[in-house]
Amino acid sequence: MYEKENILSIFQETKEAILRGDSSRIKNLSNRTTNSASLTHDPDNIAAAVIIYSISKIIERTNYQKIPEWDKFYKSYLNSIDKIIEAIKKENYEAYRKEIRIMRSGISKFSGELEKSIQEVFRKASINKASKIYEHGISMEKTANLLGVTLFELASYAGERGISDAPGKQNVNVRTRIKFAEEMFE
Amino acid sequence: MANKKFLKKTKISNDNSGQQKVIVFDSGVLISFSLNGITEIIEDLKKDFKGKFLITSEIKREIIDFPLKIKRFELEALKLKNLFDRNILEPPSSIDIKDSEIFQKTNEILDLANNCFVGDGKAIKLINGGEASCLALSTLLSQKGIKNVLAIDERTTRMLVENPEELKNFLERKLHVKIKICEKSSFFFKNFKIIRSPELVYVAYKKNLIKLKDKNVLDALLYAVKFKGASISNEEIEEMKKLAKVN
Repeated sequence: MYEKENILSIFQETKEAILRGDSSRIKNLSNRTTNSASLTHDPDNIAAAVIIYSISKIIERTNYQKIPEWDKFYKSYLNSIDKIIEAIKKENYEAYRKEIRIMRSGISKFSGELEKSIQEVFRKASINKASKIYEHGISMEKTANLLGVTLFELASYAGERGISDAPGKQNVNVRTRIKFAEEMFE
Repeated sequence: MANKKFLKKTKISNDNSGQQKVIVFDSGVLISFSLNGITEIIEDLKKDFKGKFLITSEIKREIIDFPLKIKRFELEALKLKNLFDRNILEPPSSIDIKDSEIFQKTNEILDLANNCFVGDGKAIKLINGGEASCLALSTLLSQKGIKNVLAIDERTTRMLVENPEELKNFLERKLHVKIKICEKSSFFFKNFKIIRSPELVYVAYKKNLIKLKDKNVLDALLYAVKFKGASISNEEIEEMKKLAKVN
């Protein structure tokens, strides 16, 4: 695991923010792993980013709290975060990964409505985090592969948000590139 | 019969000067056309093209084989499969380039590209096998004297080829670390030519291949491909529209 201290403090702060119901704070915390994830492609950093962003979305959507099994779900997530914090403190990364897997797959033990909603949150969180890594300069295919999302999803998401735009001065201008294309079709 | 089949397989069209031509497609361009429901533009461009549209097996896996298993993108994958089944998109073996040659070159390119930029003592793994396989195929085509361009929509591979210095600056800004470029590696990427889905749309428009007739159709198509991932700025789109009127 890269930047262990950073990940640990993110989960600790996330727990406090969950208890306060502060979804925007949690969302900001999820962005703190993007640099490491882009630089190292460390799966533990990427998993943390996706889980924490998902939690921010789950907390943000107050209508989920009306679903009958919400309390049980909420307690199980807090319990998982405690276990994650302990695992990182003990540098037991297998336990960390196991708990992340439980958070992602354990949702299947809840009712259809909650399961479906939360799974969709996870899927969208993965796309969001993929777009952040693509935004940080890693290629689209590489990013899609790292996050386990399809290129179709990532291309649409990045395109609609202007993330795909190339920054700075273009070495090949519009005229030249059109010429490349037209020459091929002559 | 087998001989006839072989001749058909290896035949590559020439333009008037006798020069062989190929466009190598990355996944992004085909995904953009497919998501926008405009794959017929690729078909019409191919009819007008005196050469081949090639995709590597890596790209085929990304745009056809894998998404065919995902209900959400099954239709888009089927549209692209249809282009492949009708030889509008073809594998490199159609011009006698073996997958094993591409595989070997792909690994060399991945090694170069993914060790080209170093930040915080770590080589930044920028690109993946599909993108590298397109660069590999283009390299092999150039070695055989076949004129080719790459059709790539995504930003990183394009910047690696066209503007590695700006990519370095961009990575520094985003990752907040000092980046070193390996000049030897970056030199390798200088000789590729890249077009994007907007240029293909532009050519189709200029050749009157777009079936939808409306004064805003070019604008609509350019923004449609931009919103499906093509790395093009609004300024570039406006300039393309002006050029379309002038020329």
